[in-house]
Amino acid sequence: MSDADSGRVRDRLDALAERALDMTVVERFALAVASTALALFIGLLVVAASGYDPVAFLGYIFEGSFGDSNATARTLKFGTLAILTGVAVAIAFRAGVFNIGVQGQFVVGGFVTVVTILWLAPLLPESAVGGVALMLLGTGAGVLAGGAYAAFPGVLKAYAGANEIITTIMLNFIAVGAVGYLVEGPFRGEGNRAPNTARLPEYVSLPQVVFDSPDFSLVGFGVALVVVVGVAVVMARTRFGYDMVTSGYQLSAAAYSGVDAKRTVVSTMTFSGMVAGVAGAVFAIMVQGYYSDPGGIATYGFDAIAVSLLAANNPLGVVPAGLLFGGLDSAGTHIGINSDVPVQLIDGIIGLVVLFVAIPELFRMAARRTGLGGESR
Amino acid sequence: MTPDAQPPAVELRGITKRFGDVVANDGVDFTLERGTVHALLGENGSGKTTLMSVLYGLYEKDAGTVVVDGEPREFDSPRDAMAAGVGMIHQHFQLVEPMTVLQNVVLGHEPTERGLVDESTARADVTDICRRYDFDVDDRLDEKVRDLDLGARQRVEIVKSLYRGAEVVVLDEPTAVLTPQEVDRLFDVMEELTAAGRSLIFITHKLDEALTAADHVTVLRDGEAIDTVDADATTEQELARMMVGREIVTERRPRSTDPGRPMLTVEDLHVVGDRGREQVRGVEFTVREGEILGIAGVQGNGQSELVEAITGLRSVASGTVTFDDRDITRMGRRGRIEAGVAYIPEDRQTEGLVQEYDLVKNALLGNQTVEPFVDGRFVDWASVRSHAESIVEEYDVQPPTADARAGSLSGGNQQKFIVGREIEHDPDVMVAAHPTRGVDIGSIEFIHDRLAALRDAGLAIVFVSSKLEEIRALSDRIAVMYEGEFVETVDPDGVTDEDLGLLMAGRRPDGLDAESDGSALEEEGVES
Amino acid sequence: MSLSSYASRTRYRLGGGIAFVVAVLLALVALDVPLRAILTVGFAERSLRAASPIALAAVGGLYAEKSGVFNIGLEGFMIFGAVTTAAMAFVLGGDSPGQPDLWVGIVGAVVFCTLLSVVFATLLVRFRGNQIVAGLAVWFIGLGFGPFIAVLLWGNRNSPGLVSVRQVSIPVLSEIPVLGPVLFETSPLVWLALLVAVAAWVVLFRTKYGYWLQAAGENPEALDTAGIDVARVRFAAVVFSGALAGLGGAVLFAHAGSFNGTGDTMVNGRGWIAIVAYLFGNYNPLGAAGAAVLFGGLENLQIQFQTAGIAFPNKLMDLFPYVAVIAVLTVWGSTRMPSAVGEPYESED
Repeated sequence: MSDADSGRVRDRLDALAERALDMTVVERFALAVASTALALFIGLLVVAASGYDPVAFLGYIFEGSFGDSNATARTLKFGTLAILTGVAVAIAFRAGVFNIGVQGQFVVGGFVTVVTILWLAPLLPESAVGGVALMLLGTGAGVLAGGAYAAFPGVLKAYAGANEIITTIMLNFIAVGAVGYLVEGPFRGEGNRAPNTARLPEYVSLPQVVFDSPDFSLVGFGVALVVVVGVAVVMARTRFGYDMVTSGYQLSAAAYSGVDAKRTVVSTMTFSGMVAGVAGAVFAIMVQGYYSDPGGIATYGFDAIAVSLLAANNPLGVVPAGLLFGGLDSAGTHIGINSDVPVQLIDGIIGLVVLFVAIPELFRMAARRTGLGGESR
Repeated sequence: MTPDAQPPAVELRGITKRFGDVVANDGVDFTLERGTVHALLGENGSGKTTLMSVLYGLYEKDAGTVVVDGEPREFDSPRDAMAAGVGMIHQHFQLVEPMTVLQNVVLGHEPTERGLVDESTARADVTDICRRYDFDVDDRLDEKVRDLDLGARQRVEIVKSLYRGAEVVVLDEPTAVLTPQEVDRLFDVMEELTAAGRSLIFITHKLDEALTAADHVTVLRDGEAIDTVDADATTEQELARMMVGREIVTERRPRSTDPGRPMLTVEDLHVVGDRGREQVRGVEFTVREGEILGIAGVQGNGQSELVEAITGLRSVASGTVTFDDRDITRMGRRGRIEAGVAYIPEDRQTEGLVQEYDLVKNALLGNQTVEPFVDGRFVDWASVRSHAESIVEEYDVQPPTADARAGSLSGGNQQKFIVGREIEHDPDVMVAAHPTRGVDIGSIEFIHDRLAALRDAGLAIVFVSSKLEEIRALSDRIAVMYEGEFVETVDPDGVTDEDLGLLMAGRRPDGLDAESDGSALEEEGVES
Repeated sequence: MSLSSYASRTRYRLGGGIAFVVAVLLALVALDVPLRAILTVGFAERSLRAASPIALAAVGGLYAEKSGVFNIGLEGFMIFGAVTTAAMAFVLGGDSPGQPDLWVGIVGAVVFCTLLSVVFATLLVRFRGNQIVAGLAVWFIGLGFGPFIAVLLWGNRNSPGLVSVRQVSIPVLSEIPVLGPVLFETSPLVWLALLVAVAAWVVLFRTKYGYWLQAAGENPEALDTAGIDVARVRFAAVVFSGALAGLGGAVLFAHAGSFNGTGDTMVNGRGWIAIVAYLFGNYNPLGAAGAAVLFGGLENLQIQFQTAGIAFPNKLMDLFPYVAVIAVLTVWGSTRMPSAVGEPYESED
C-alpha cells in the first residue's frame, strides 16, 4: 500500500468521523431541538392552512406531553417504549450492523411474553408472588424470542451474506403477519370478537407507584433505565462490548485483534433483539395486558431508529431522545381526544421530526450560514 | 512541425502544497517533454502522488503554476484536467465492475444515435485504439470488468484515458499490482504510447523500473525535487542516494549466534487469495528461537497471504502451521494471539489501530483476553490506561499522551505504538510485516533496534519487507518469495544485491546454492 | 463472481419462480382443487391490474438503488400518490368526478410526488441524509398526512366512492380467446405500467443515462472522473423513483375508485412489496415487473380461493413475498446490491 492508499483511507476515516461521530452533546441537543421545532413549525403551517388555530394547537402539544400528571404518565409510557427500542437499535448500529428489524423483534417478544404467561398462569398460584413470577418468566421468554428472531438475520448475514437491512425489513412484515394470524386464529381468546389473545390475569401487572394510570407504571420506566445502564456498561466496560464497538468502527482492526467477525454479527443481533424483546414484554404487560393484531400497534421499532440516531447510538443518550418521542406521541393522543384537528397530523409531524433527525447536515449548514456556532468543531 | 518547436507537454513550476503544518510539496519544478516517459521517483511519503494530484485537479495547490501544452492552467477537478488532455491511472482502478469493458471505456463520452448508445461506433473506435497501441483488450470488449485480472483492468484504464483524448497520462505506481510478466507488457505499452507521441508520467519507488521504463527521472524527497536526470546517464546507486539523502549504509547488525529450538514451522502451505487465486504455493520454512527469518520479494507475490495464514487471519487451503510443536493450522486468530504469536500488521491504518480510538482503547486491541486488562468479562480500563502510558513512554510515541486519537498520530508514531503493544504481549513468535513502511528514518532505526533486541532475547521472528537493505541488515536468513513460492533461502552475508534482485524476479542466479544452515558461503566455491 | 455464475444465478431465480408456480399448481391439482374456478380470465386480468402499481413503484425504486440511493420511502410516495389523485378528482369533480377529472388527478399526483421527491432527493443527495431513516420518515409522513388530507376533505379517513378508470377495449384484438380479455380489454393503466417497465429497461441498458446510473451506484468515482456529476445522476434517479411511486399510488386509486386511509392506508405495504419485487427481479426492470405480476396474482388468489371454496389464512398468504425474498437472498447467494448504495458521494472538488 502506498502513501496514496493510506491517504485515502485516512481521508475516508476523517470524513466518517466528521460526519457522524464527533458531534458534541450540545450539538446533538441542538439538532434534536431544531428538528422538533422545524417539524412543529411545518405542522403549525399545515394547521393554519387547514383553517384551525395554530396557537391553540401548540398549546395542546405542550399540555398533552407534560401538562398534567396524566400527560406526563403518558409521555413516560411512550418514552419507556421508545427508550427500550432505541437502545436495541443503538446496540446494533454501534457495532455496524443495521438491525432495521427491531419492530419485528418487539412484536415477537411481546407476543411470546403474553402466550407464555397465559400458558403458565394455571400452573402458578394466583397471587402477587405468582404474578411477579409469571412476569419474570414471560419477560424471559419474550427476551429469548426477540433474541432468536434477531439472531436469524444475523446468521443469514454472517454465513450466507444476506444483507441484513433487507432481511430485517422483511422479517418485520413476517412478524406482524404471522403474529396477526396467530392472534386472529389459534391464539384468539375465547369469546373475543376482536382478534386478540385472552387477557392476562389481573394479578399480572406492574404496580402503580406514582401515577394513577392503567397502562403506565414507574416500574416499567425503571426497567427501561436499568436496561439502558446495563447496556451502557456492557458496551463500555466489557470485552464483548469492546469487540462489538471495535467491529463497528473498523472491521479489519477487530479481525486483527482476534474478534470473530461472523460470530460478533450474530451475537450483536441477538443482544439487540433481546433488548427489543424486553421492550415487547414491557409493552405487553404494562400497556396492553393482552396481545392484539400487531398491524395496529404503533411503530415503536421504526421510531427507535430515529431515537438511536439522535442519541449518536449512545445508550445513555437514548433516554432524552426517547422522552422527546414519547412526548410527541403523548401529545398526539391528547390532541386526538381534545382537539378538532385530525390526530393524523401528529403522526405526520413525528414523521417530519424523524426526517430532520436524519439530515444533521441541513442544520449544520443553516447554523454556519447564520453564524450560530457552526464552527464549534 | 518539428518536436523542438512544441512546448513541453506539462510544466510544473514551483508547486507548493501543504496539508495543515505538513508541506507535502515544496516549490517543485517538473517538466515533461512530449513523447517521453518521465519517472517520478521517491519513497513512500515523498510527495509524488500529491504532486500528481495537483496536476490532475484533485488537490488545490498553495503556490506555483501548472502549464499544459504551453498554456497556464487552473484545474479545479479531474474533469478540467481531462478536458485539457491530462489523464491519470490510479492504483484503485476507476472501473465499474459489473459493466463491460466497452461500456467502461466509453462511460461519460458515449457516442449516441437516436438516444441510444451507438455500440457499433463505440466498438469501432475502441478497437481502433487497441489495434493502434497493440492492446489485447479488443477481443474482450463484452466481458465484464469484474472478470478481468488486474493487468487487463489496467490496460482498460489506459484505453479509457486514450479514448477520452488524453495526451498526457499519469500512471500512479502502476506496477504495484502486476506480476512481472504483466510489468513487461506494461512497459511495452508505454513504449508504444510514447512512440505515438503521447507523454507519460510514471510514479514509482522502484529504481530498476524507473531506469528501465523512463527517459528522464525526477527524484522527490520530503516534498522537494532533488534532481532530474537522464535515465541513460545515471545508475541505481546514484538514484538511491538521491532518494534516501545519504549513502545507504547497510549496517549489518550482529547475526544470531545460537538459534534454539524450532518455534514456527510451516509445511507445504497453500493459501488462496481474495481473488480466488492461489497466492501461496507450497511454502515451507522453520524459524527457531533467537532467529530472524527475512522474507523478501516484490509486493504481491504472496507475502501478505502467507503472513495472514501464519497469524490466523486467513484460512489455509492445505499444509500445516506448527507453533512450538502444536499444530495451529486450524486455530483462529485469537487462539494464536493467546498462544503467543504477535503480529505487526502490514496495514497499520486499517488493521493495527482503530483510528477513532484513543491510544488507551487501542492498547486493548489484541489484548482482549489478557489479564490484568480483562478480568473475566470486564475490562479494567485503569490497567489498560497505565499499559498504554507505559507503551507511549517506552516506545517514544509523540505526542506523549495516551489520550491522543490514534488517527491524529503520524505514521511513524502509530507504528511505534503498534510495535510496542505487540512486543509487550510477551510473545514467542513475532510476525512483522513491512514494519518500517512509510515511517521516518528515526523510527526505522528504533524499530530495527527493537526487533534485533527481541531476537537476542530469544524470540523467533518472521520479518517481511520489500526493502532489500533492511532485509539484509536485520535477517539471519533471507527467503525470497516469488509467485507464491520461496525461490531460495540465502545467507544475507553470502549474497549480492544483484543476486537478490534476480531471485526476486524469480530467476536463480548461477552459482548460488540453496542455503540450509548458514553454510552457503563455504559451499559456493565448491559448486562453481 | 464470473459471468457464467451470474447468468446461472439469474436463471436459478427465474427457474425458482417458475418451479414455485408449477409446484403450487401441482399441489392444487393433487389436492383436487377446482383449478378452473381459480385460474379464470378474470383472475388474470385482476392480477395484472393489481400488479401495475407495484411494478411502477418497483421500477422507480430500482432506478434509485441502481444509482446508489436506497429509496426506502416508496410506500410513503405511493400513499401521497393515491391521496393526491383522490383529492384532485374530488376537488375537480365533486362527489362524482368524471374520467377527465381522474386523469388530471393522476397527472397532478405525479407532479406533486415529483415535487416532494425533489425535496427528498435534495436532503439525501445534497445534505447527505441517512437514507434508511429519511426513507422511513417519508413513510411516516405519508401515513400521517395521507389520512389527514382525507379527514380534511371528507371528514373521514376514507373517501366516498369517487371514480375508477374506465376499461378500454380494443376491437378485434379483444376477441382473441383468453389473451384478448386479459390484455386488450383492461385498464389502460396496465398498459402504461408495461410501457414504463419496457422503457425503463431500454433506458437502463441501452442509453448513456443508464450507463451513468449504473456507474453512479457501483463506482461513483469512475463516473465523476468521466466528467459526469454523480450528485445530479443520483438526484434525477431519486426524483424519478418518487414520481413513479406516486404514479403507482395514483394507479392504485384509479383501479380502486376510492381512497382508504385506515390502518396502513390502501397502499398497505405495496411500496415495500415493490422493493421486494425489484430485488426478486435482480434489478432488472422487466424482472421487477414480472415479480410484480407474481405478487399481484398472489393478492388475488385469495378471492379465487374464496370463490372456489378453499379456506387459507389471508395473513399467511400475504407473507409469501417477504419469505421468498429472504429465501432468495439466502439460498441463491446474496443479491448483488450496487456496491456504493447508501454511501454519500463527495466529489473531490
